[in-house]
Amino acid sequence: MRRLALPVIAVALVAAVLGVQVAAGGGDYVPLRPANPCVPRPVSTVPAQLEPLAEQIVLLGLDSAACRLGISRERLVLALAETRSLDPHQSAALKAGLVDAVDQLDRQGRLPKVSQLLPQALDQANLPGIVKTIIEAVPDTVVDNLLPTASLLRQTVDELDINRLLHELSDPRQLNSVLQTAILRAALRQALDRLRP
Amino acid sequence: MGRGSHLMGADRSDQPASPLTARTVIVVLLSLAVAVVLGDAGVVTLALPEILRDFGAQVWGVAWVLIAFNLVLALVAVPVARLCVRGDPAVATAIGVVGFAAATTVCAVAPSLGVLIGARAAQAAGGALVIVGTLELLVAATGIERSGVRRWAVAGVAGAALGPVIGGLLTSAFSWRAIFVAQIPIVLLALPAAITLRGRVERRRPTLDTSPDRPHLLANLALALLSAALTAALFLLVLLLVDGWSRSPAVAALAVTAVPVAALAAGPAFRGVRGGTRSEAVAGSVLIAGGLTGLALLPGAELVWTLAPQVLIGLGLGLSVDSLTAAALRDRVPRAIHGGWTIAARHAGVVVGLAILTPIFTADLRHAQTPAEEAIASLVLDAPLPASTKLDLAEQLGRRLSAEHGRVPDLRPAFRAVPVPATQAPAVAALQRGLDDQLKRAATRAFRTSFLVAAGLALLALGPALALRDRYRS
Repeated sequence: MRRLALPVIAVALVAAVLGVQVAAGGGDYVPLRPANPCVPRPVSTVPAQLEPLAEQIVLLGLDSAACRLGISRERLVLALAETRSLDPHQSAALKAGLVDAVDQLDRQGRLPKVSQLLPQALDQANLPGIVKTIIEAVPDTVVDNLLPTASLLRQTVDELDINRLLHELSDPRQLNSVLQTAILRAALRQALDRLRP
Repeated sequence: MGRGSHLMGADRSDQPASPLTARTVIVVLLSLAVAVVLGDAGVVTLALPEILRDFGAQVWGVAWVLIAFNLVLALVAVPVARLCVRGDPAVATAIGVVGFAAATTVCAVAPSLGVLIGARAAQAAGGALVIVGTLELLVAATGIERSGVRRWAVAGVAGAALGPVIGGLLTSAFSWRAIFVAQIPIVLLALPAAITLRGRVERRRPTLDTSPDRPHLLANLALALLSAALTAALFLLVLLLVDGWSRSPAVAALAVTAVPVAALAAGPAFRGVRGGTRSEAVAGSVLIAGGLTGLALLPGAELVWTLAPQVLIGLGLGLSVDSLTAAALRDRVPRAIHGGWTIAARHAGVVVGLAILTPIFTADLRHAQTPAEEAIASLVLDAPLPASTKLDLAEQLGRRLSAEHGRVPDLRPAFRAVPVPATQAPAVAALQRGLDDQLKRAATRAFRTSFLVAAGLALLALGPALALRDRYRS
């Protein structure tokens, strides 16, 4: 019995220590695992401002694109940050993801009207003063009828040059320019389509 | 007294007995020398990052500062012991002390990594003479074989356990060179002690003993496996604390004192239940394996979580290593040669442990980069910050991660590089804390396999431990 005493005490001490550690989450102290991008995330309220709206669309769009590509949202972001260019398949997946995001927000009624975004957009836009004045003079109802937010955003995504956008990620001025160009083109195309008999 | 005792002086009635105080001083000085030499095996562990910076070397090159000492000690311990038994162990010890001190001086002033590694190898050669010589001298000085052997073994255990701690403190307070400077006077103090015992240890007479006893295979095998596992306990834990959790070497040194404290407390703590070498070796293996498993399953990056596993390891170390060493030496002659075998086994274990575990944890650390990056990306994407701030932070964080490829990055410069308005400061601070936590989680996870492999090595020691012939301690 004396020979067994020490090994038995040792086993008991080890069991006690490991028991406490496992109970405290010892086996689970690992880095955050990326969420499944195919499972929709809860969407927070989107303020009627350009940057939060764009961010929300990008976050939801990344999820959808990652789901289409069969990778995590985080892996996709890291790949985008590293390569700064996409092959046509990835580019199509990203655009489709962004359109999915617009559709999701539209279905949930979370998209603000264009008239709500217009003052901020005009403020940031590099347009001649006279043009800004003319646009500001257009009544909100006309703007919203002419440019429904969801259609405008889908068209904007279509107009986006994704590779150029990624290339300019580190230069906010150039990034804004790429986005503005896409939004203006989309707005013009939308307006012309609506006005066309 | 066993037949391995060749005592001529200390307990012989025809010799004038040394005063107790002088004998005690000699025993203390010789024990200190043993502790310093065996502590040298891991003393530079916490200094490796500073040595790496000083010499601008590669990690693998710097690891040789550690490996060279242990490898040479493992290779020369037995041949040196054979030389030692042919002459006077006191002379061998004195030569070893001088050689070790000279090599240590070169280590302290080494102008290049190559010189440092060469001097470390020379240190090990001199140290081997000190170690095997002092075994005979301690038995002679104490007058009782078991007592002398036990002091020698305990001094070795204390040195091995305290080495990284003292090395870390000296590196933090002064520089890595201070580690070697501090050793020189302590080892030189053993010189007069060795000279005092000159001619007091009987030379082995070939006519009486036709051949040396065979080494104790089981005890030495168990020692080798446990030493390999203990290397992980000290080497990997220190790396986890300094590189993984970004603790200073001083804090890491203080944190790992739990191992030597528990090792020294093991004897008194289990005095009432000690049941022989096999029982102690089995219990020690279980405790060391359990402690290493505990380090593999840490629930957080707070130092307090490492304490209980360290205590298990320390208790296992205190129970098993001196018990196995005593078993390997008991009734075997020449004692110095068998002491040499135990040293060779232990340090071969250290080298094998480093050889097995270093590639595992370096590869795991590299593989930990992907989950860490993904966790960082996730937190940045979901942070309650404006998109423009997130983009700026992501740019800076990406640079830090690329710059520290294969190592745990310091993200603070990335946050310093992105000025934010006061309204965003709390969210940025929370993000920084979150990212630091993710890095610590990734680093801790990266060490898990190494700790579990080390625990496996300790469990392997159960094989030879269980096969030991048991003998109760009287």
